[in-house]
Amino acid sequence: MAAILEKRNFRDFDWLVAFLAVGIVSFGVWQIYNAQPAQTYWQKQIIGLFIALAALIAIAATDYRRVIDAAPIFYAVGLVLLILVLTPMGVKINGQQAWLKIPLIGQFQPSEFVKIPVALMLAKYFGSRKTGTLRLKEVLVGIGILAAPLALIMLEPDAGQALTYFPILAVILFLSAVKIRYVVLTIVAGLIFLPLVYWVGVETGKIKNYQQERIKVILDPENADPRGFGYHTVQSMITVGKGGLTGIKGDTDTSQSVLKFLPEPHTDFIFAVTAENTGFIGCISLLLAYALLLSRLIAGARQAPDRAGMLVIMAIAGELACQIFMNIGMVLGFLPVIGVPLPLMSAGLSAVLATFIAIGFVISVKMRRFVN
Amino acid sequence: MKLYDQAQNLVTRVGIIQVFAFTLLVILGVRLYYLQVVKGEYYSEKAENQRVRFIPIPAPRGAIFDRNGKILVDSRPTYNVTLSNEPIKKIDVSDRVDDYAQGLQVDRQFVVERINLIKKQPEFETLVIKENATIQDIVWVESHELEYPELRVEIQPQRFYPLGKVLAHVLGYVGEISPKQLEKPEVKEKGFRAGDIIGKGGIEQYYDEYLRGKPGYRKVLVDSRGRVQDELEVVPPQAGQDLISTIDLDLQNAAEEQLANSTTKRGTIISMDPNNGEILVLASAPSFDPNAFATRSSTPEGRKEINQYSTNEERPLINRAIQGRYHPGSTWKIPESVAGLQQGAITVKNSNLVCGGGIQIGTKHTRCMGSHGSPPLGYAITKSCDGYYYRLALKMGIAGLIQMIEDFEYDKRSGIDLPNEKISQTPKSWMPSVVKNEGKWSDIRTVYASIGQDTVVVTPISMLRAISSISVQGKMFVPHLLKEFKGIGAIGEEGEPNYVPARASFGFARPEPKLIEMTPEQNKLVLDGMWGVVNGGGTGAGIRIQNFEIAGKTGTAQNSELNSGGAKDHAWFVSFAPAYKPEIAVIVLIENSGFGGSHAAPAAKGVYNAYLSKNRPDLLDGQQLAKK
Repeated sequence: MAAILEKRNFRDFDWLVAFLAVGIVSFGVWQIYNAQPAQTYWQKQIIGLFIALAALIAIAATDYRRVIDAAPIFYAVGLVLLILVLTPMGVKINGQQAWLKIPLIGQFQPSEFVKIPVALMLAKYFGSRKTGTLRLKEVLVGIGILAAPLALIMLEPDAGQALTYFPILAVILFLSAVKIRYVVLTIVAGLIFLPLVYWVGVETGKIKNYQQERIKVILDPENADPRGFGYHTVQSMITVGKGGLTGIKGDTDTSQSVLKFLPEPHTDFIFAVTAENTGFIGCISLLLAYALLLSRLIAGARQAPDRAGMLVIMAIAGELACQIFMNIGMVLGFLPVIGVPLPLMSAGLSAVLATFIAIGFVISVKMRRFVN
Repeated sequence: MKLYDQAQNLVTRVGIIQVFAFTLLVILGVRLYYLQVVKGEYYSEKAENQRVRFIPIPAPRGAIFDRNGKILVDSRPTYNVTLSNEPIKKIDVSDRVDDYAQGLQVDRQFVVERINLIKKQPEFETLVIKENATIQDIVWVESHELEYPELRVEIQPQRFYPLGKVLAHVLGYVGEISPKQLEKPEVKEKGFRAGDIIGKGGIEQYYDEYLRGKPGYRKVLVDSRGRVQDELEVVPPQAGQDLISTIDLDLQNAAEEQLANSTTKRGTIISMDPNNGEILVLASAPSFDPNAFATRSSTPEGRKEINQYSTNEERPLINRAIQGRYHPGSTWKIPESVAGLQQGAITVKNSNLVCGGGIQIGTKHTRCMGSHGSPPLGYAITKSCDGYYYRLALKMGIAGLIQMIEDFEYDKRSGIDLPNEKISQTPKSWMPSVVKNEGKWSDIRTVYASIGQDTVVVTPISMLRAISSISVQGKMFVPHLLKEFKGIGAIGEEGEPNYVPARASFGFARPEPKLIEMTPEQNKLVLDGMWGVVNGGGTGAGIRIQNFEIAGKTGTAQNSELNSGGAKDHAWFVSFAPAYKPEIAVIVLIENSGFGGSHAAPAAKGVYNAYLSKNRPDLLDGQQLAKK
């Protein structure tokens, strides 16, 4: 494997993408330290970074086509893992049975990883088709591929993580010649049905009280109960706003996370910590880094040697963009609080590893763009 | 790969996704700009407000001592259970009322009131819900720490009244400022807040400003649960100033004992140094225990006790010395004698007036208790001849009586340093309504007024002041309880933001005494009469002390209008001693007990004996020495 790397493709290795990914994680380590200086999360994240980097290089060195060929196997393994989560082997944290504890390997969150086999599976199916508009049967198969893991994740239940799966299918359908009029129709229908579904959910009691509160606080944060379910949102906004233009320089003893006003500061609300410590300048720099990373990925997609490779990269890029938006939107108080980590920033080995594997795959595609 | 070959504008579609992704990032950037740059200050302040707390450090209140340094009131640290509003601000805690009431052994209604009050306060305020917490209370609070984070145990200075019911009316008590008081603008201006302890009644109220210290505070950093993480600043409290009162506790105890042993156990004894107005004794019975208000007001027992004080028909909360108004009876004859001489109705050379066994006014005959012929002033005082004074008053006229009332300031407050003093009622104050109802002021009213009945009701303190003045050539001193306030040091250095200046020591700002004008001869004539009351076989002869000549006057005030069932007379005795070189004045009033000479005068003797055994043991007569 190393020989292959050395021999021909090292010059095509996308150093910038790898550098950006490592850079953002390193920046994240600093923020995790700011969030919980007394804890060991930041040290664990450094170890995670090295593991993830090794995985990235290994994946990049592998021929992505063989991986796509094996997609059904990965997909099946993913489903098995998601089923195992629901068995007594799964670990329940904060009411969600989303973790799997396996001897020797340790504890991880399969729903973070299964995105990749889902993207591969969809890319394999839609990549093999020729030209022509998308047929209903193909759409249904796509939905089926997505539905199986989604159903299992909803059983955990982890609605936030489940939401991040939708962009994968959306991007792949969009790039698989679905008619624009259907796209428009779907968006319009969504705008109409979403409030309707919410209303029905409230009336039937399917949407729980705390979930309603989390929506309400977005609409009217000033009048929300700052001690109740609005607490996360209100404190997150205070933390972000407090950072100002340049952040709180050095005054870490009085930071929102150290005084425990900000909940989950090292995971879901890591961006608020970033905002408090580095201010508007730091946050914009981070957003620019994300923008650069995404545009490198999309550029790679444009150069992909085949349709399946292009689809995988775009699916990953789309999923990353949506997840970044969902997480930061929540931190900035205009999206409801759902437990989605910020890619590359939030503490957690599973998330970093999964994202690095995805990026490794993108690099692998790019490295083989001339080998057709 | 030849994307261009693909159908449905693949290149455009990839581009759309890219634009879409960037749009999302731009939205985030705009929102960030709004939160951090536009509203940064606002959130910064919000963050500061939620992490910085000011925890007040209560200032110990100044102690109160008697003139010899004996402790009358002090403050001691106690454990209080406090209720803070922050954890319960937004939730309904009505279901916790019973738990609090049972767990802390406090009155249920009180808990409800406390919760209502704390909910109206700004965030982070606390109120005491249980004073003097017991070990059981503290254990209960700590074991429910997670369930009820609003309850805390705090050490706070607690006012303590070691004497109980003794001196209660003079000292007053402390308690929480009432919501009504808080609404007054002058109270708000001084920065009082709900739950603040203030003086209520007595010296505690009158000198509250000086007794009260200035609370300090701890500026602390707290975490989201309100737990203190760090102390940013401490400003120590400045204690209140200690007060030395003019009270002599030994004499006070003697007076309280006399009241307790009196027939009705209702009345008042006041003693003053006639040379300067310093009050040595001020006792009023029945009395109350200030500790009930200061330390037990949250418990069911304490509330019952307090409620009982205010509904009791004997009205133990009334300070009879300054709030009770009684017909003075024959004690009224003393200022009247001075006025008669001043106004020329009688003279030193010819002070004789007819007794006549009484007087006939129209169809009404008003009798004298005896038949005294045509006595001179001295004899009239000694024997308390009513007939003499009927004629004296008629000679002076009602205008002359009103002149006397003004001269002796019966139409004013005495100015004693106690709150809520009442003003006596006299013909002066009654005149307008009597004239309105009856067309004129009739002679019979003048006759009644001459012996301190009918339109004359006076406060014992105003009577003490008038009588004392006669012992010192007419100098009307303002009676007072403050001897000295001790000074207290400054907090911090001058120029510092939290600097609290030192408070200087000061005494009572004694006004110049008002002077009742009379010649030494006139003065002596009245003094001779008063001397005779005790030492010349008069109405107070029973309390004579061999070497310590008391000058006095008995009084027996009818008060049938109070109680048609024929309540007994109020017994008065007004006095000072030694008669011609006074050191101490004592007046006694025992309600509904009967003749002044037999019910009030002995109580005065009890105080004089206490005075002698303390200051002049050599003068105690054999009998008293034997008793000791």
